[in-house]
Amino acid sequence: MKQVSPIQSIPLRHLPVRHCARITEVLGHPEHVHRLDEFGLRGGTRIEMFRPGNPCIIRLAGNKVCLRADDLLHVLVEPTAV
Amino acid sequence: MSATTETRIINVALIGNPNTGKSTLFSDLVGVHQHIGNYPGVTVEKKTGRVELAGQQIELIDLPGLYSLAPRSRDEMVVVDLLLGRRKELPTVDVVLCIVDATNLERNLYLVSQVLELGLPTLLAVNMLDVAENREIRVDPALLEQRLGIPVVPIQANRRIGLPRLKTALADMIVGPRAVECCTGCCAACVSPSERVRPEPPRPDTTPLPEAFEAEVTRLESELADHEESLHAGSLPRWLVRRLLLDISGHLQRTLWQNGAAQRKQQIEAARSRLATAGHAVPAVETNARYEWAHRMLEGVVVEPGVYEMSVTDHIDRVLTHRIWGTLVFVFVMLVVFQSVFVWAQPAMQWIELAETAVGDWITARMADGTLRSLVVDGVVGGVGAVITFLPQILILFTFLAILENCGYMARTAYLMDRLMVRVGLSGKSFIPMLSSFACAVPGIMATRVIENERDRLTTILVMPLLTCSARLPIYTLLIAAFIPARQYLGGLLNLQGITLAGLYLLGIVTAVICAMVFKRTFFRGQTSPFIMELPGYKWPSPRTVALRVAERCGVFLRCAGTLILAVSILVWAALYYPHDPQATRHQQQRNSYLGQAGQMIEPAVKPLGWDWRIGSAVIASFPAREIVVATMGVMYHIEEEADTDATPDPEQSRWHEKLRNVTWEGTDQPVFNIPVALSIMVFFALCAQCTATLAVIRRETNSWCWPAFTFIYMTALAYLGALATYQFGMWISG
Repeated sequence: MKQVSPIQSIPLRHLPVRHCARITEVLGHPEHVHRLDEFGLRGGTRIEMFRPGNPCIIRLAGNKVCLRADDLLHVLVEPTAV
Repeated sequence: MSATTETRIINVALIGNPNTGKSTLFSDLVGVHQHIGNYPGVTVEKKTGRVELAGQQIELIDLPGLYSLAPRSRDEMVVVDLLLGRRKELPTVDVVLCIVDATNLERNLYLVSQVLELGLPTLLAVNMLDVAENREIRVDPALLEQRLGIPVVPIQANRRIGLPRLKTALADMIVGPRAVECCTGCCAACVSPSERVRPEPPRPDTTPLPEAFEAEVTRLESELADHEESLHAGSLPRWLVRRLLLDISGHLQRTLWQNGAAQRKQQIEAARSRLATAGHAVPAVETNARYEWAHRMLEGVVVEPGVYEMSVTDHIDRVLTHRIWGTLVFVFVMLVVFQSVFVWAQPAMQWIELAETAVGDWITARMADGTLRSLVVDGVVGGVGAVITFLPQILILFTFLAILENCGYMARTAYLMDRLMVRVGLSGKSFIPMLSSFACAVPGIMATRVIENERDRLTTILVMPLLTCSARLPIYTLLIAAFIPARQYLGGLLNLQGITLAGLYLLGIVTAVICAMVFKRTFFRGQTSPFIMELPGYKWPSPRTVALRVAERCGVFLRCAGTLILAVSILVWAALYYPHDPQATRHQQQRNSYLGQAGQMIEPAVKPLGWDWRIGSAVIASFPAREIVVATMGVMYHIEEEADTDATPDPEQSRWHEKLRNVTWEGTDQPVFNIPVALSIMVFFALCAQCTATLAVIRRETNSWCWPAFTFIYMTALAYLGALATYQFGMWISG
């Protein structure tokens, strides 16, 4: 795993491949945010970028999830060391 | 449960997140004793199976995979109504069997916490412990059982490990402990059923939601009870009142109160405002509380590794989800599937054809010539037999689809296709129901309920019938085998017949994409929904699950052949047999029949497509179901058989293909069929909407006659224009 120094929140799409991060905020329509919340994609959750792009594939709690946020949802993350 | 458990069937609801192995567990428990139908009054698929445990008959109800019990769609509402026992026509659930994925227990416990609030006896099956172990995730099911206060059983559904223990726990829950050890409770050593001690169900008021929220629920419950009383309606269960407060989409309000809900809505809004002021904003209060609860429950139960190592699935995904390599693999897999459908099925198809001929000949030899013999031989054996001949191909196609789905590859195709779908204005989620449509559009259209956005859902429904379903295979394979040369490429890896079949599938896909794009930019303009989907880990497909799924779908095909196709075959036979003139030759009879007259009437319209009136008649006959076109040709073939005395039977050729090649335009030696005509017919059937079952399901799903009418009109127009262009272009090319 590549080492990254913690910086402020960045959009998920800017997270490079195999880099880890913690979700800081999910912004968008409350209904969409709630669905992601139920899915486990919520503030504080640790993720790892598996395949960047739109849609991207992230690792969430050991499982892989593909996500296309577009303009409807903004997932902000804070890169972490692991 | 009372002593009536000894006679009454116990209903066990199986619930869990998608990709937790729920369907595998269902098959493990009930085996072949499965039944698929609809819940009464709604078009939500109901899958049930019977199993006997400790002498007690149990009906296992397989519920759709859900991440949350929030009723935001018709499917989810049926699940909630079923679990709450709110509708008399639905079975009463006695026990809930919850299956969770050991690799992602925190998210799975979100749903469990909602289930526990129902207050029903609940049993938890922790699946995929082997996968968790491989990822170095340690799980302690005994500690989890202690924390949750309900029985927890570790299982590996794909290997059937832990099933005896699960059955014992289920039996204990239903008829009391020692039920399995003591057989059926009939011997003196047994504890009598009435003496058995059953585990206490969780209390319905057990909820992780904060007290302030619960206080608002109590207040709202009382306010709503006054309303319901004034309307002489029963009071709402507390569980639903909680959901009313949490459901910001308003779906539940609309479902419960179609009229006069203004005052109740105001009360709900007021409760939400008070909660927001108190720092418990809806709906975040629910996810926060449930995830906090799940976190507490799992402390010490689950130990995760600090870093996830690259797994085999990850290595495979590096290729299969790659923009270029992944797409190439997808195209190659589809080519192999279609080629196999075509090549592997041939021997079995020829056996069925031979059997059909033998049955027809046997009946002909034993029955006197006349209407009845014609009905049995030409209508029933010829018509239904012509469709059953294609069972081997349908079996191979369903086997491939079931394997691809079971091993986890299908989710990757949805990811790959999302890039294409989003350009059309849809999401990868629309692609999943579309994949079902390659088998049959009816379950595909019903599966569009997973699409939350109504505009996306309608668009998907309208283009779904363009995708190549198994009913098109009979006409495709018949004409391809008869007219497309079996040229081989790449050392025999590919052949022209397989490529043509793949091309027809591609035509359906491309047309569906273009139509979806047009619809999304005209009738259903709007923003594209966010797309989120889990990619399950790859696994070896379970032969048992694949076999059961294939058997289930082939059973549906055979039932269709035995009912709808049989009825239409008889109608087509009658339309060809009447008005009957015993003096007329077979050809004259065919020409003067009602179907023949209709075919001649439309001949000027179909001639530019390269078709004679007999093909036109077959197309008219296939309006109820497109596979009938083959059955009609079967009937026509039998009619022509005796007149065609010059035909020399060639043992190397299928008699179907030989017959079709020998058909000539009336009064000439010019053959009706050539490659452009065969392609023109196939393009017509690739694009037409000749399936009453599909149109009926569109009517049910959209609750309107406009959409099925629109589907039929636009697809028929496309089919005609496509067939016209194909024939004219083909003739121009061939000079």
